[in-house]
Amino acid sequence: MTNLEKYNQAFVEALEITEDQLPGLEYQAIEQWDSVGHMGLVATLEDAFDIMMDTDDIIDFSSYEKGKEILAKNYQIEF
Amino acid sequence: MLLEGKTAVITGCSRGIGKAVLNRMTAQGASAFALVRREDAAFTEHCAALSEKYGVDVRMVYADFENENAVTAAAREILKTKERIDILVNNIGVAFPQRMLAMTPMEAVKRSFQINVFSGMLFTQLISKSMMRGRRGSIVFLSSSAAFDGGANIEYSAGKAAVLGEVRRLAVELGGFGIRVNAIAPGLTDTDMGGITSEEVKAAAMSRNIMKRMGEPEEIADAAVFLASDLSRFMTGQTLRVDGGLL
Ligand SMILES: NC(=O)c1ccc[n+]([C@@H]2O[C@H](COP(=O)([O-])OP(=O)(O)OC[C@H]3O[C@@H](n4cnc5c(N)ncnc54)[C@H](OP(=O)(O)O)[C@@H]3O)[C@@H](O)[C@H]2O)c1
Repeated sequence: MTNLEKYNQAFVEALEITEDQLPGLEYQAIEQWDSVGHMGLVATLEDAFDIMMDTDDIIDFSSYEKGKEILAKNYQIEF
Repeated sequence: MLLEGKTAVITGCSRGIGKAVLNRMTAQGASAFALVRREDAAFTEHCAALSEKYGVDVRMVYADFENENAVTAAAREILKTKERIDILVNNIGVAFPQRMLAMTPMEAVKRSFQINVFSGMLFTQLISKSMMRGRRGSIVFLSSSAAFDGGANIEYSAGKAAVLGEVRRLAVELGGFGIRVNAIAPGLTDTDMGGITSEEVKAAAMSRNIMKRMGEPEEIADAAVFLASDLSRFMTGQTLRVDGGLL
């Protein structure tokens, strides 16, 4: 599985959404991506990529695209 | 056993109430990450003895809670094990001799808050991530009767009251994850901290105490076991006053 597939799957699993909803998706734009959903998403991503995200990154993670940027920049995950 | 198969993270285990919590929780079948400020041969032996006696894992983690980087590093060390944390006891606390606000430098207030409030909050922010994953857990904070009656110095009383606000808010935030958050407010307890209390303050506390004695650390630890266990499964956001009946 590629890193992008893992990343997408984490969203699909944690937020119970479909892949076509991902592009442009923003935090709190849908009911499932509230703060509880956010922490579930973070846990799923941490497990999927075997990382521990910093609190600042968890706070900055404001959209599907921004999350990718954070993982690439701060956790050396290539997409 | 009340805590069989559970894993607890307990801060301030070197002595006093924290050590009693460690003893009581391992006796009830919990494995533990025991946080202490620094390595100490006698404490290491004590942990090995608990491990052997109760057939549980007791691992020491070192951190000075005056230093936020050390707090973060300790939490990361625990999280790295990927062990599911069921219980967190935020027990570390410091008290200073009684004095008026007028005679208290703000630096002392900030230092007290760093140890008694901020570091515990930071540690909880990090450790609760493991509990959120497991969608279960119990967090216990050590507040104090001073939060209610101002029976200790200003920075301590204010910090312990802040902990109660934190407990109520965290209970709301973490309830959705199946995590309960409660506090214990001990009255004067027979530990080193209890020992620094002046005779005058002690006498005043005893005169308002129905049982007319100090608490034993084990009596506070038993309340922590109760709050950590399923016996208290319908309790969250509460403060258990274990103080011999302060009037
Ligand atoms: N005893 C009482 O009368 C009483 C009453 C109400 C509430 N409480 C609360 O109950 C809790 C436990 O109190 P206690 O009576 O057991 O106190 P204690 O006997 O003085 O023990 C305090 C514990 O906290 C640790 N600690 C203090 N500052 C630390 C730091 N900067 N970094 C790491 N560890 C640190 C100590 O470690 P070291 O050994 O390394 O110093 C020790 O393990 C505290 O939160 C206290 O406020 C106590």
